[in-house]
Amino acid sequence: MLQAIEAKGLVKRFGGVTAVDGVDLQLAPGEALGLLGPNGAGKSTLLSLVTGLRPTDAGTVTIFGHPAGSDAARRAMGVTPQSAAFPPQITPRELIAYAAARHGMRPDTDRLIAAFGLQRLIDRRMAGFSGGEVRRVALALAFCGAPKLAVLDEPTTGLDSASQEAFQSLTRDYVASGGAVLLTSHHWDEIEAVCDRLTMIDRGQRVLDGTLAEMRATMRINQVSLVVDDPAPDWLPAPDADGRRHLDSADSDAVVTRLVREGVAFHDLLIRPLALKDILATLRHEA
Amino acid sequence: MLKHLIAELVLSARVLLRQPGFWVPTILFPAMLYSFFGAQMADGPAGIYALASFAVYAVLGVGFYQFGVSVAQDRETPFVLWQHTLPGALWLGWAARIVVAMGVVLAAVAMVLLAGRFVGGIVPDGPETARLIAACALVSVPAVLMGIALGSAASARAAVPLSNLLFLPLAYLGGLWVPPVALPESVEALSVWTPTRAMGELAWAAVDGRALPGRYLVVLAGWSLLSVAVIGLAQSRHRRAMFG
Repeated sequence: MLQAIEAKGLVKRFGGVTAVDGVDLQLAPGEALGLLGPNGAGKSTLLSLVTGLRPTDAGTVTIFGHPAGSDAARRAMGVTPQSAAFPPQITPRELIAYAAARHGMRPDTDRLIAAFGLQRLIDRRMAGFSGGEVRRVALALAFCGAPKLAVLDEPTTGLDSASQEAFQSLTRDYVASGGAVLLTSHHWDEIEAVCDRLTMIDRGQRVLDGTLAEMRATMRINQVSLVVDDPAPDWLPAPDADGRRHLDSADSDAVVTRLVREGVAFHDLLIRPLALKDILATLRHEA
Repeated sequence: MLKHLIAELVLSARVLLRQPGFWVPTILFPAMLYSFFGAQMADGPAGIYALASFAVYAVLGVGFYQFGVSVAQDRETPFVLWQHTLPGALWLGWAARIVVAMGVVLAAVAMVLLAGRFVGGIVPDGPETARLIAACALVSVPAVLMGIALGSAASARAAVPLSNLLFLPLAYLGGLWVPPVALPESVEALSVWTPTRAMGELAWAAVDGRALPGRYLVVLAGWSLLSVAVIGLAQSRHRRAMFG
């Protein structure tokens, strides 16, 4: 089966700085991949190689078998750039018609209006749109060419929580219907809600790659959180500002058994899987 | 491809025509200036030369403001980056801009001709009008190239003041506001090498029915080549910066 994205040994240098250093990336249809990394890690440069905006210095990247940047690759792809801005004289309806024409399609404006909550905005010129409104239009434009791959660079920045949830739901439906998504986001919960697989890059290199389930299985760690009446045993960590103590453990049952055995008075016990950001921080540290 | 070209044409036209800041100076100002000054300064047989001069001035405005300013401003917006991610040939966007520019040139020249008729009382006959419009179409090529060169080389912030700085003095130096014979001797010596003088000479020859003066065609070709060289260098620099 053709991969939505197949990248091998990608390298991109700017002068003496290597922004992307030998990164491999694969994304199958019907899969959502979260691309994570700190600021300056090389995420945006990597996306520019995938979208064909920049040529690679080494390595290859294909979109459904077509070289990135080729007309066929661009036809298969919808993109929401990190910073979106559109001519203020134009309405969203006109932009959607323009983007659809570039894809050689008829605009499916009604579907996009409903999906992205553009009812009030669709025929207004974009001068004076808020950041969140511009972002919603940018998201609608990414999906207006019926793409097989959506490349979304921090797509929900500036969106209110209702719009974020709507976006997550829509993206999950898109992936379930066979679409592929490459997503960068600083919202860990969004990555968790949308993506099946994660790739983390740092200083231009891929430092982690795998499905979220694999990472959880590797870690098999739960977080035990509780409030302890003084005196607390020495082996428990210090309380946070709310008085709760948090303990990461591969065997949460053993922790609770020990508390009971030692006669520690505790309440408000919570046991939950470690949050994605904590798993990644631990794995990154181990890597 | 036709669908794409039409989409680019519609987008270009909407963006430009919904900006009074663009169409007032480019379409209306030349006719207004002609009405206030050109029509008053030159009447009788000289009147048609003034009309031709202000028609050339209108063409120059389209080149400098539609291309000089908008190319510089567009280049720095994320919208252009997003357009590069869409399918379709990128040159169609430029083709659309040029077609829309031709429409704006026609509108601006038509306004000057209307001002000539109703304010200056200058009514060129059919062949004169046709030759003048043809001359304007011809001089729009170097005007547009010069505008693109300016927009490619200047930043978005610098493009407007730079356009103003070049546009008005060039119009004067080229004899578009004051007939060349009335220019001071030192200015006249400089004038013959300016693109605006060459454009004016072509327009004056056109309304006279004379052959286009070869010397000024060469001058315009030189300015066009220089503009193409500047465009090539500046665009390659920007491509490296944005897409390199």
